Amino acid sequence: MTAYILRRLWQMAPTMLGVILLVFFLFNWVGGDPAYILAGKMSNAEQIANIRTQLGIDQPYYVQLWIFIKQIVTFNFGNSWSTGEAVSSIIGTRLGPSLTVLIPLTIIETLIAIALALAIAFKRGSLTDRSVMIACTVGMSVSILVYIIVGQYFFAYKLGMFPVQGWGNHFAENLFKYSALPILIALAVGVAPNLRLFRTFVLDEVNQDYVRTARAKGVSESRVKWVHVLRNASIPIITHVMSNLPALLIGAFLIERFFSIPGIGREVILAVERSDFPVIKAITVYVAAATMFFNLLTDLLYQAVDPRVQLK
Amino acid sequence: MKSTHPYQRDRALRKLSRTGMAICLTLAGLAATTLPMHAHAAKPDFADPEKVLRTIFPVAETGFDPAATRDLYSNAINEAIFERLFTYDYLASPAKIIPKTADGMPEISADGKTYTIKLKKGIYFTPDAAFNGKKRELTVDDYVYSFKRIMDPKIASTHVWLLEDKITGLDQLAAQAKKSGKFDYSAKVPGLEVVDKYTLRIHLTRPDFNLPMILAYTAMSAVAREVIEKYQDAQGVAMANPVGTGPFKLTEWVRGSKMILDANPDFHKTIWDFQASADPNDQKIIAAMKGKRMPQIGRVVVNVILEDQSRLLAFQKDEIDLFQLYGGLAPQVLNGPDLKPEFVKRGIQMSRIIDPELTVYYWNMRDPVFGGLSKEKIALRRAMSMAHNVEEEIRIVDNGHAIPLQYPIPPGVVGHDPNYKSSIQYNPAAANALLDKFGYKKGKDGYRTMPDGSPLEIVHTAQTESRGHLQAEVWKKSYDGIGIKMRAEFRPFAEILKAEKQCQLLQRISPWIADYPDGDNFMQLFYGKNIHMNNNGCVAIPEYDKLYEQSQKMAPGPERDLLYHKMTRIMELYAAQRLGYARHRMMLSQPRVIGHKKHPIMHIEWLQIDIDKNK
Repeated sequence: MTAYILRRLWQMAPTMLGVILLVFFLFNWVGGDPAYILAGKMSNAEQIANIRTQLGIDQPYYVQLWIFIKQIVTFNFGNSWSTGEAVSSIIGTRLGPSLTVLIPLTIIETLIAIALALAIAFKRGSLTDRSVMIACTVGMSVSILVYIIVGQYFFAYKLGMFPVQGWGNHFAENLFKYSALPILIALAVGVAPNLRLFRTFVLDEVNQDYVRTARAKGVSESRVKWVHVLRNASIPIITHVMSNLPALLIGAFLIERFFSIPGIGREVILAVERSDFPVIKAITVYVAAATMFFNLLTDLLYQAVDPRVQLK
Repeated sequence: MKSTHPYQRDRALRKLSRTGMAICLTLAGLAATTLPMHAHAAKPDFADPEKVLRTIFPVAETGFDPAATRDLYSNAINEAIFERLFTYDYLASPAKIIPKTADGMPEISADGKTYTIKLKKGIYFTPDAAFNGKKRELTVDDYVYSFKRIMDPKIASTHVWLLEDKITGLDQLAAQAKKSGKFDYSAKVPGLEVVDKYTLRIHLTRPDFNLPMILAYTAMSAVAREVIEKYQDAQGVAMANPVGTGPFKLTEWVRGSKMILDANPDFHKTIWDFQASADPNDQKIIAAMKGKRMPQIGRVVVNVILEDQSRLLAFQKDEIDLFQLYGGLAPQVLNGPDLKPEFVKRGIQMSRIIDPELTVYYWNMRDPVFGGLSKEKIALRRAMSMAHNVEEEIRIVDNGHAIPLQYPIPPGVVGHDPNYKSSIQYNPAAANALLDKFGYKKGKDGYRTMPDGSPLEIVHTAQTESRGHLQAEVWKKSYDGIGIKMRAEFRPFAEILKAEKQCQLLQRISPWIADYPDGDNFMQLFYGKNIHMNNNGCVAIPEYDKLYEQSQKMAPGPERDLLYHKMTRIMELYAAQRLGYARHRMMLSQPRVIGHKKHPIMHIEWLQIDIDKNK
């Protein structure tokens, strides 16, 4: 096991190098020159050159790339070019609001999708199954933007059930008051695709021999469903859920933007709008690292869920 | 069950609370007549903590260091926290300079090169750990230090242009800092003479009659050296610890999300006393505000709301008090120029001004096809100018919320002439005739070629956003009308700025908003020496430049206006650009907001307004 983990960690190095090169060259070729924005409208060539020097973007590319690599190794991405705030502080302070919305959302969404998938997969072809599938297809066909605009208009403005937007200073206030509507909207969007996917995973299992055997042995239908089938359907479900976890680090762009949640997703958009490279590269590198880490964790979980799986 | 609109519920609750209040007041009155009187602590006549103004920024702020702040919204916060020597009269139009921390207007020497400014005594910074528990009085040294910071190359301030090439000895000090890598803040600058703690004498390298306006600019606010040195980063900037002498202080800051400012209880006594302009609404504001001590508001809560819909719904749901209405949202709130009945019924107020801005359509005067001063090039640009219907663009792009400009100096700015009529008007027939006359012949495809038969195509550059696309569509129609082929090119803003400063763009719609409300700020846009800075069309017409240099030595007045007229005619003659429009700025406020009027130059009006606690 240890050897496997070490080998996987070692294999992450070239992947990370690829990410670094991609981010670096993409930013330098298509990211624009931030000095022109930072210099303001009454700037001259000398002032622009001065800003370029301060940002270090007047250095040759190989020097800038080396600085980038050093920043990754030391976990010190410096300060934001537009606000001067330490990048570590930006990530540290914006992650909380994003997770306040996304952790409950991921948990609730996964549980609902699993429960419904199990319920309808065992009634495949029934009116309930067909109705749910049609509802899912319709739900998935509508853009999240429509859910947000309509949800905000009716539930927050017309019915006054939630604030239109905002963020407070206390966790409970943020979770129950400000995050409630964003979570509900995100659930409406997110449950449908998960439900369809998980239903397929469950359907793959319900016709297996072990299910027939369990039933023949007189095992109750709910035990067949919740113990035998669920356990075997868990591997693809875990893969799917774990592969979505790194997305927690980049927040929910639209939700955060519309509901004024000071999360990491909103920060990413701001950083892109401002050509704030230190913030962009830090978040990209962290997301890449998280993706690789969660992939490894997923593989380890396979073995925990299914002892037949061997890690080689 | 019958549903109730939240506003109706609010009204019902308010009615109930008013009834309750009436009972309480009656009981209190009875108690007052029957119980012995006790000594009451006198309530301050300003900065009432129960008066909370909730407002919004549509863009996230960046930080609050006057010398280093680059964006409009952070500067709005700076304006509330820090103070300049001069500011603007709240109601005057065109904008008028008045003293802020200065004790009266400056004394100007006969040659216009020396300004003597007296500072009010007894103005204090808000308490901070940097002052070690002592009260810290504002002196002219703080202004000298703050001005030097703008010129410090390490800070890379975007406001260098305010002082560059103006104050005797300051540029030399900055040049030394560039060489040595360290700005000597202790060095004496001959042009910034500290006569005593409260008297500053500024010696200019040349006469500048706009200096008071420059000194009213937010970046020219006073900061305390101790505060900067305590909180500054490696770049010498202190964005997160603003400490000023202004009416408000920053109490809470959630970056990119929320700012809470509380009134400064030690703010020097300032009484609301402004005179009405020609605007009939001013009398109502004066009646409500005159004689009150400023600020009346005790707390300002600023939320950053990036999305249009969220902002509008939050305002409609009464989650915010003050809201800037942009053209895109206007159809949801306005019927033509007026508020929709449902907003009027709720008592929503609107303050509308014309922004002190000029949107100009320029062509690159250095371009070998479209630039230059030869007759056929002038004819080509003149035809393109006449082909464009500015009013149609306003209708399509800004939903009608802008006015076409005839003169480069917009309304509300010193030097504006409402009677001036440009010699370039929308006239596609004349434009076509002009092109025919100068040999720009139409080919089989309906598009014209150069007189020598070579292809003629213009590239219009715009930002990659919906506004840019709409503008490009309107221009395409204009060019099609005179048979000139146009290709639209959409680029990110940073790239546009870079190309523009290097004279690499062929055509763009370029907006310019006043830094200070004087005609000079607009006429300099076409000055040859400002190419690579803000002369985006890269215009260099010797006649114009000569007159501009002459105008710089003149005080505002009829003589300078005459010169500006001549300069404008020269620009029309060469058709170096086409004047566009100035947009409306519309501010909506809830009925509880008293005395609000959008100021064309000041970023905020929190100091001058009041809140009705009973609404």
